[in-house]
Amino acid sequence: MFLALREMKHAKLRYVLIGFIMVLLIWLVLFVSGLAKGLSSDNASSIQNMNADYLILQQESDHRLTRSTLSEENLRDVRKYAEVDESTPLGVQMTTITKNNASKKMDVTFFAIDVDNMLTPTIIEGKMIHHTTANEVVADRTLKQEGLKLGDEITDQASGETFKIVGFTEGHSFSHTPVVYMNFNGWSTISHNQTPNQEVFNTIALNISENKVKQIEKNVSNVEVISKDQALQGIPGYKEEQGSLMMMIAFLFVIAAFVLAVFFYVMTIQKMNQFGVLKAIGAKSTYLARTIIFQVIFITIVSLLISISLTLGVSFILPDSMPFDLSVQLIAGCSILFLVVSMIGALLSLYRVSKIDAIEAIGRAA
Amino acid sequence: MENQLLLENISKVYGDGDTSVKVLDDVSLQVKAGEFVAVVGPSGSGKSTFLSITGALLSPTSGRIIIGDKEINKLSPKQMNQLRLEKIGFVFQSANLIPYLTVQDQLLLISELSGMQNKKAKNRVDNLLDRLGLSHRKSHYPESLSGGERQRVAIARAWMNNPDIILADEPTASLDSERGRAVVQMLADEVKLHRKAAIMVTHDKRMLDLCDRVVYIEDGRLSE
Repeated sequence: MFLALREMKHAKLRYVLIGFIMVLLIWLVLFVSGLAKGLSSDNASSIQNMNADYLILQQESDHRLTRSTLSEENLRDVRKYAEVDESTPLGVQMTTITKNNASKKMDVTFFAIDVDNMLTPTIIEGKMIHHTTANEVVADRTLKQEGLKLGDEITDQASGETFKIVGFTEGHSFSHTPVVYMNFNGWSTISHNQTPNQEVFNTIALNISENKVKQIEKNVSNVEVISKDQALQGIPGYKEEQGSLMMMIAFLFVIAAFVLAVFFYVMTIQKMNQFGVLKAIGAKSTYLARTIIFQVIFITIVSLLISISLTLGVSFILPDSMPFDLSVQLIAGCSILFLVVSMIGALLSLYRVSKIDAIEAIGRAA
Repeated sequence: MENQLLLENISKVYGDGDTSVKVLDDVSLQVKAGEFVAVVGPSGSGKSTFLSITGALLSPTSGRIIIGDKEINKLSPKQMNQLRLEKIGFVFQSANLIPYLTVQDQLLLISELSGMQNKKAKNRVDNLLDRLGLSHRKSHYPESLSGGERQRVAIARAWMNNPDIILADEPTASLDSERGRAVVQMLADEVKLHRKAAIMVTHDKRMLDLCDRVVYIEDGRLSE
């Protein structure tokens, strides 16, 4: 560390410059990661937070909840293999609502659930709907930002039905729209059901073991079982959104590795003669390698600390409506990955250092 | 007087078969404690190879080298590294100081590498700098030193690990004759004072009167 620190102190400018690039790169990575995470939960938190492991869809529905239609007959088949409290039907309907006596339109997704089963959301304000009522709903709290409050009535544009908001929940969205929970009484009034005495819904949520999944896949016809993760990918726009952000992040990591690799490689080549002298006077290759590793880690850690504070600082001044979610795990994960990436970047220089011949110091006038 | 450095029938051959080049041919040399030997020869005569082998930077093809009481021609590169650190002091052609270290740190680097105690090392640095008249330059960087001062720092660095032998590779090459002479004088004085062995490779004939012995090297052969 003797050499590493003194060199960085002497050549402040070049190390500050490379540090500055690193700060910008890490800042961007953290920001885009936070944005990806935020967008992901803004998009699909209702699925992410769902108390279920698997979903059953109609066959050939492309993993899309909204494309699938299941009947009570399917539910009966499934319940041969799963207990009642392990399986529950779910209706999904993306629609547009208006607040009563106002013309402003809002996009929401209706989720029809069996209110006494496992999909019941946690209420943060008001009360949960009862399974007997037909015109009461629980809405995600993001609707409050649109000016809705407890007791307000909303009208579904497609069916003209009116519902009263009796409670609010949080962390429930689907395809970037807030989720409005209702029971199947409400559902039957808005769904265009052709068979009057049969409920029709989109999917069945399952909380079962893998073993039972296999049995259902084998024995129940015309359905497919998908995991929650597959259901997420099936939400319109989810895969595309996350995919492009992930590609940016991956590129930034690669760029960071190359920037560090090039910087330290050029520095090392520039110092070959000097390293030769150091070896001639008795410095070991491992000592020189440690010097470079120390510098790389030092620059990376300092840049990380600066970038993390910058990112957290910016996240405080971001407006609430901006989907940005940076958890400690995400920061820690990015930091560790950056350290690994920077060490990979240093490998090229370490290789050169291992090849240094002390004899370079003799008979040289430079 | 005992021998501080002993070279016995050293040969160095580069390449093999038809294309082999014999750079050193059966070279033998003894240097006693307190003796300052100059090695003079034209370029291409094998001076650098001679110095590299003596300084444990290069292994000879055949022959024996003994520094102090240690035979070094059979050591691994790693052991040679350690030996250079403990037993050999180098003074290079153009000082070759580390640009980002102050004069004091140039010397402390040696103690850092060899794991010398910090306090003991600082004392030794102060003594050396005082003796070589560099105390006022202690916290200067090499870029602000004159050529002569740099070479004096290099000499101080070579002494730092209290080596058995000092090897100087054309130490006066980048200096004018007056300053070059002062530097060589200083080297000679130190050798006498501490009873070490020293070899200086040079082509500067004006410095030879400061040395105890002059050895000529031509086509890989030594002659006195």
